[in-house]
Amino acid sequence: MTEALQSLPVYLALLAALLNLVRRQWTLNLIALLVQFVCLFPVLLKIMPLQLAVIHPFTGLMVTLILYLTLVGVGGIKSINLRQSLTSGEIFRGLAGIFIIATLRASLPQFQQAVFPQVSSNHLFLSLGLIFVGLLQLGTIREPFYLAIGVLTFLSGFELLYSALEFSYLLEALFVAVNLLLAIVGAFFIVKNAESEPA
Amino acid sequence: MVWIVLPALLGIGLVLIQRLTKLSAVLGSLFPLVFSVLALVFSNGLTLNLLGRFFTLTDSLAIFGRAIQITADQLGIIALLYFLCFAWNLLSGLLKVGQWFNSLSLIITALWVSVQFINPFLYSAVVIELIAFISVPLLSPRGTPARSGVIRFLSMQTIAMPLILLSGWMVSGIETSPSAEAIIYRGALLVIAGFSLWAGIFPLHSWLPMLTEESHPWTISFLQTMMQIGLAIFFLKFLNQYAWLRNLEEIKLVLKWIGGLCIVSAGVIAAFQKKLSRVFGYFYLSGTGYVVLTMAFQQQGWIELLTLYLLPRALAYWSLGYALSLLREALDSEQLDFSELTGLIWRYPLTSVLLLCSLFNVTGMPLFSLFPSHRIIWSILASESLPIRLLISLGLIGMITLLLRTLGRVIQPPEEANEDKKERAIIVVPVVLIVLFMVLGGLIPQFFSAPLQNLLISFQNLLR
Repeated sequence: MTEALQSLPVYLALLAALLNLVRRQWTLNLIALLVQFVCLFPVLLKIMPLQLAVIHPFTGLMVTLILYLTLVGVGGIKSINLRQSLTSGEIFRGLAGIFIIATLRASLPQFQQAVFPQVSSNHLFLSLGLIFVGLLQLGTIREPFYLAIGVLTFLSGFELLYSALEFSYLLEALFVAVNLLLAIVGAFFIVKNAESEPA
Repeated sequence: MVWIVLPALLGIGLVLIQRLTKLSAVLGSLFPLVFSVLALVFSNGLTLNLLGRFFTLTDSLAIFGRAIQITADQLGIIALLYFLCFAWNLLSGLLKVGQWFNSLSLIITALWVSVQFINPFLYSAVVIELIAFISVPLLSPRGTPARSGVIRFLSMQTIAMPLILLSGWMVSGIETSPSAEAIIYRGALLVIAGFSLWAGIFPLHSWLPMLTEESHPWTISFLQTMMQIGLAIFFLKFLNQYAWLRNLEEIKLVLKWIGGLCIVSAGVIAAFQKKLSRVFGYFYLSGTGYVVLTMAFQQQGWIELLTLYLLPRALAYWSLGYALSLLREALDSEQLDFSELTGLIWRYPLTSVLLLCSLFNVTGMPLFSLFPSHRIIWSILASESLPIRLLISLGLIGMITLLLRTLGRVIQPPEEANEDKKERAIIVVPVVLIVLFMVLGGLIPQFFSAPLQNLLISFQNLLR
């Protein structure tokens, strides 16, 4: 039971990343992004003190807020339509994402033993899962908003992995700067695209 | 502090006055020139003797428990980077580049300086990611939708960063366990893959021509030149710091093949291009190939050869960027299609001369500034294996084909005379000076190599 509870944030974060990979509804994507960032907190808490573990979800909150305010500015926030049927592209991305995560889960013990023996299984699963889903997102989209989400997912996974290997205040500060700048770049792209769309 | 924090702050200050374009361009040129001169002035033990009074700068800046450390023998690198920033800002006032150029170019230069001196140096990978994000307003100005090139560029830069950071972690402690051959290969693979993604090495180069097609030639030439030189010096740092990487016999072979493939792919693909804007990207790919090839030789004097190569290469990009920017404004075209070049010399003689000289120069033709270093590389290649020689020859033939195609188009008499647009008289001064510099560099190679002879002296392990 305890183990299942400990794994809950891991699966929740991966589910949120998969949702961002599959669905193309801005409001839903922002909520999923926030969930993804918040779910990293309990995983980080196992390897670092509270005041350091809180940095990542807090940065995620700021990032989501920047993107949300930008989308509000360009009129991109609409009510979530859960009944919208899946397109063939969404089904493909969903299946590809599930396949990657399943393959990762299956090969995790060997990979962990060979490369990252010091990282716990759940930690490694979540970080690699986010990295691969982020990469898949980067490879399958052209829209700037999803580029930002893809890069954020990829970086979240990597930051999570690296935090288990080495900790440095400077690196942490640089990662925060990268995340915030990325959100600003994403916002810049959203505004640019909105401006250049025909009225 | 003087070469990183202060320029970054001044760059932010320039953001505030970016609407005053003339003032911004003047200050944007002045500041980097001052920082470049300061780097030269303080190159004697970080101390300046002024009328008997000594001014000494501290050599490190502590940030979050880590340090950015600069020694006196590294100031040449700073002087070079700020000089390049000065050179690009100097002519920016004459061109219609975005209003962000002066401020962001100064910030980006400060960040490239910090990349070279952050300790531990692997953390610089994250700074390079920051540079990529800061470059976005220059690469994709407002008013146009975000295109594929910039998106692909950001994706590649993002994927590269973890590879570099992980390589450092993976090989930590390798110096004490020399038998760990598998780890060495893994670490080397991560380093090579990371740098390949960063620099757009063949076959990961697709974003390079896309980006040169989408962006203003002046801004992309600045960003790519800084990136090429910054990454080259950063890679030297890896070689200097990591004995396992430096002593890996296979690394030389891998670098030779990477260099050869970059040169051949750039030459062959460029020969068939229809847009001059995309060709610009292939010149960068070819340039990266030559830089990598220089590093692959790793024999007596290769550091000097690299030093001899860097400034003429930067001048070649500078002049080509300027020529393409002038063309873009004269023809009112972003793509610079070859069909638009017909009879160019009859309509815009100065711009045409600059374009042709720049193309001759960047290809490495005799009489021009890149020729002396290219000649040395080609003569070293004579003792290399046949496949490498063939690759370089094919690449060169491709570039010469492109050169002849352009020449043919430019000197072809126009079908109808167009007297509407004339060249601005003011460009005669920069054009004549640039051509003069290019020819001087070709006739007297010391013209460029003498000021830079101690540029890479801090890489002591590579000089042995």
